[in-house]
Amino acid sequence: MPLALAGCGVDEDDPDVEADGQLLILEWSGYEATEYPQFYAPFTEKYANNLDEVVEYSFFADDAEALAKMQSDIGADLVHPCNSWWQLYVDNGLVQPLDTSRLSNWDKIQNDLAAMGQFNGQQYFVPWEWGYESMLVRADLVEELPDAWLDLWDPQYAGHVAIWDSAETNYVLTALALGFDPWNATAEQEAQIEQKLIELKPNLLTYWSDYTEAYDLPASGDAWIVAGAWQDAYAYLESDGYEVVYVQPEEGRLGWVCGFGLSANSGDLDLAYEFLDAAIADESMAALANEYWYGPANTASLPLIDAYVVDFMDLDEVDTLTERTVLYRPLTEAQRIARTTLWDTVKASP
Amino acid sequence: MKRSISLGSTYFWLLAIFLYLPIFLLVLFSFNDAESLRFPLSGFTVRWYQALLEAGELLQAAGNSIIVGVWSSLLATILGTMAAIAVVRYEFPGKQLLLVVAALPLVIPSVVIGVALLILFRQLVDVELSLLTVGLGHVVINIPIVMLIVAARLAGFPTNLEEAAMDLGCTYWGALRRVTLPICLPALFAAFLTAFTTSVDEYAMSVFLVGTDATLPIYMYSQLRFPRKLPIIVALGSIILVLSIGVILFSEWLRRRDAVGEVSEPDV
Amino acid sequence: MEQNGRIAILLTPTVLFLIGLFLIPLLVMGLFSFREGSFGEAQTAFTLRHYAEFFANEAYLRLLGRSVVLSFGVSVLTVLFAFPVAYYLSFFAGDKKYVLLTIIIVPAWVSYLLRVLSWKVILGGSGALASFLSWLGLAQEGGTLLLFSPEAVVVTLLYVWVPFVALPIFAGLERIDKDLLEAAYDLGCNRLQTFWRVTLPLSLPGVLAGFLFVFIPTVGEYVTPALVGGPEGIMFGNIVRDQFLRALNWPMGALMSLAMLVVVLVPLFILSRFVRLSELAGL
Repeated sequence: MPLALAGCGVDEDDPDVEADGQLLILEWSGYEATEYPQFYAPFTEKYANNLDEVVEYSFFADDAEALAKMQSDIGADLVHPCNSWWQLYVDNGLVQPLDTSRLSNWDKIQNDLAAMGQFNGQQYFVPWEWGYESMLVRADLVEELPDAWLDLWDPQYAGHVAIWDSAETNYVLTALALGFDPWNATAEQEAQIEQKLIELKPNLLTYWSDYTEAYDLPASGDAWIVAGAWQDAYAYLESDGYEVVYVQPEEGRLGWVCGFGLSANSGDLDLAYEFLDAAIADESMAALANEYWYGPANTASLPLIDAYVVDFMDLDEVDTLTERTVLYRPLTEAQRIARTTLWDTVKASP
Repeated sequence: MKRSISLGSTYFWLLAIFLYLPIFLLVLFSFNDAESLRFPLSGFTVRWYQALLEAGELLQAAGNSIIVGVWSSLLATILGTMAAIAVVRYEFPGKQLLLVVAALPLVIPSVVIGVALLILFRQLVDVELSLLTVGLGHVVINIPIVMLIVAARLAGFPTNLEEAAMDLGCTYWGALRRVTLPICLPALFAAFLTAFTTSVDEYAMSVFLVGTDATLPIYMYSQLRFPRKLPIIVALGSIILVLSIGVILFSEWLRRRDAVGEVSEPDV
Repeated sequence: MEQNGRIAILLTPTVLFLIGLFLIPLLVMGLFSFREGSFGEAQTAFTLRHYAEFFANEAYLRLLGRSVVLSFGVSVLTVLFAFPVAYYLSFFAGDKKYVLLTIIIVPAWVSYLLRVLSWKVILGGSGALASFLSWLGLAQEGGTLLLFSPEAVVVTLLYVWVPFVALPIFAGLERIDKDLLEAAYDLGCNRLQTFWRVTLPLSLPGVLAGFLFVFIPTVGEYVTPALVGGPEGIMFGNIVRDQFLRALNWPMGALMSLAMLVVVLVPLFILSRFVRLSELAGL
């Protein structure tokens, strides 16, 4: 039947499933349903016919950019920010509470992660993937491996440390190195954090700002330690034959969680819920974990994930994730501005 | 005399090497069998070019950039040329102010113009973000560039040409069309090309104005997240370089062909 | 009267376009520097808080100063590199001059990002230049040579800008009536004197235009410093970008942009006492 109609311009009684509606997803690049259909298997299989019409994307490269675009109401149905930004979406009324009973896979979401998406007693975000931030070290170039965030200041690495150009990350890791609570630092402690970061400068090679740099800097040997690097940078370097170590610092690795929020004025709730449910299906989450070495929020997907990914990420110990990892927490607008100001002052100082 | 010619041309070719060396490296890396841009080279491959053929999103982004580049540069060329004619040929109140305002987009960081236009489109009037909004932003920054280039050419030839044409029965607009524009054609072409180049490479402002369809720079910067895709982009860059050189050789050939017919032009 | 009609027709579209899509949004942006916050209610509250904060932050002011100095240095260097080429093309290259000029400009057509990445490869510790120098025995293996320093920013920007600056200088030189030079020779000037007393002064508008072409956008530059500058090569544009893109602190970002605008406009204003702005545009 579709064949017979293929020549017609309009085909009104197509027997295949075609969605009436359309989703606009505000997304990082690298998650496109058209390019990575396996990340949303049930959904992309069902709408395989006209997937590129059903799902449209608007991309962002930075969480702040995503929030600005949502504030300007670009008409997105779903948005995929990371958890330290979630509170701002809720406070500004940009997302709506979720009816989790419409998600058949919801019960498989790990509890601690689900709890992070709750605000004012309601579930606003579907946690999807998580990962670590730690020190990535070229073991063959250093005499001694660092084993704490404080070791970044060790003069033996002078000129060979690269840190991420991220106010949030550097604030937290410095607070940890100084023994402060990164989410309840006093004004005096903040001043010490600023001073400590300025003192790191002699050890610095550069600030890295994108993933390609996190890979290239240690690969070229210019950087010995890349701080704030994600585990998939490690995975790439390792598989390319470099002698690298992904450190488990004394103070704990940092950890991030990202997930989907449903826009307050989404036009097609049925389709949006269908997409969300497909994204957290076992096979979808496993595909994501295998592709990028990310932790899946749905723990039932574990049997489908490659053993070495499970092992490296400690996916089977996800229950203790919040204890052994310093997970980012939601920041208010004032906190975010204060941290950026601190970091910019550090960068601008001699 | 002879000595200074050789000194000058030596300097010219040294500078040309300085300018082409990094680009030559890019072409080299586009055939290198490794993901990162680094020495030593690992071997010859054409797999990045093969991957490019399948990189639908990348090619689409490149296509979007060309479309936006063409219409936004055309619009900028038209608006900029009209303003340049008025500015060069006439005195009017507020001329200096106009010049300053028209030059401002060159002076203001494009991030700022991007945010300002985002506020305009999304908070003051209700315009969906799309390639249209990106292109309008590009017109803003390209108007001063066009004005500069066209005005420089207009200033170089006397007003009485237009007057002469009008004495011969042309209307003012007819004189503009038959005399002024043909003489300015190389400048118009240069202005269009410069605007096009700027548009196709613009990133800082486009970030804020882009909707669901990405332009090439937007796509390229977003791909920095994936180290393994970098060589594909380098391959595309190499193709763009070769095409550019092709366009230049072609236009040079055109110019030479035409030059035969306009030997007497300076004496008009 | 008829003439006024012509001016109106020629100007109206451009003026309306610039007012609607440039001036109004820009004014709104400028007003942001007095606002409490970027979104919601904070948008409507007026404050001078950001001004106080900005002028109290010595590090910010220092970086602004450094960026102006660096931009100035880059601009001067670029003009020095570009002038001889423009001079050679205009006076000695004969009919080949347009082809040669185009040769200089083509590199600018390759993506800015890719060109900067290529410089990273050249300047890196295991990069092309380092390998070459160590092969010559001039540098030791493995040392990071130039990358991640203010010098790397200068070299990369110089590379990016030379073609753009050669163009206006060339255009300026082309406008010089060659008979004037003959006249100078006839009056007994030698080549150097002619250059110094005739060519150079006449080429000054083009040189200044080229200078400003580089100086103005370089103050706000952030891509090159972020990629090759390292901790010492960061520029003011990087923190302006952070305020807009990372902190979503639009009031502070707007204020920093205004500050940048002022430091750029001051030299422009001083220049305009000596050279009429319209002359720079070749009018």
